[in-house]
Amino acid sequence: MTLEELQAQCDRVPFFRFLDFDITSADDESVVASMVQSERHIGNPAIGAFHGGITASFMEAIASVTVSRNWDILLPKPINLTSDYLRPALAGTLFTRASISRKGRRMASIETVAWQADPEKPVARGLFHFLLV
Amino acid sequence: MAETDANTNAEEKLEQIASLWNSRGRGLITEMDLKIEKAARDGVRLRMPFNPDFCADDEATLLQGGILTALLDSAFGLANFLAIEDVENMATLDLRVEYLRPAQSRADVIVFAECYRQTRHVTFNSGRVWFDTPGLPEVARGFASFSITRGENSLIDRMLKQDQSSDT
Repeated sequence: MTLEELQAQCDRVPFFRFLDFDITSADDESVVASMVQSERHIGNPAIGAFHGGITASFMEAIASVTVSRNWDILLPKPINLTSDYLRPALAGTLFTRASISRKGRRMASIETVAWQADPEKPVARGLFHFLLV
Repeated sequence: MAETDANTNAEEKLEQIASLWNSRGRGLITEMDLKIEKAARDGVRLRMPFNPDFCADDEATLLQGGILTALLDSAFGLANFLAIEDVENMATLDLRVEYLRPAQSRADVIVFAECYRQTRHVTFNSGRVWFDTPGLPEVARGFASFSITRGENSLIDRMLKQDQSSDT
């Protein structure tokens, strides 16, 4: 699947359009995307930071795209998630890389990392399980 | 009797604070269009109307899980805000969400969230999400911890002061 096809698939999901992210690279192990902050992403009005739920949703979306690309499942079923918030996600662009930890027949385990200016200083990490059947 | 009056006053104050939090908020909380149904120290209950923008499909039959995660995170924030009088600042440390069944309904979504334990620096939160539809099916459960800063200049006081100054 090309990047354009992946992006087109994402753009068919209303909530992914609400998040409004761009897939920037994709291979067999991982998918990377970027999301520029809009007013609707804001959680903490005092510092204009991304809402923690939006950061988790963005990581979940890219985890889901990783599953879609590798298993050819349009909407993999999310089972659960854990999001670890490491630093505030401030105004600007948020990046996420989602990587396959375990590729099973019925389950997929995907780990994600989100960062802003410096990939060495992640703002959040995530762990997402999907049901494939 | 006096105690009952004090409780009623406290409840009214909490409801006032919760509405301020809701109406003064910006960003995602505005998009979610939350209605406060209960605002107390031992928990909050919020209603989120159905919104096709939060769906996984254009036919709007299924809510995307992420919006339920965002709803839980918001509700935990408000629960802490009401439960901890001297909270100056807070940040989510971690969040775990379990998707118990597909969120397949156009009914309003209800979330209940509580801070069931607070220490000097940390809160422990849990919450449930269900559809306001017969059988009230539970669609998600969440847990979180927040890192909090306590102090004299509490968020609640700052917000109430801002509100008074904007009225005059």
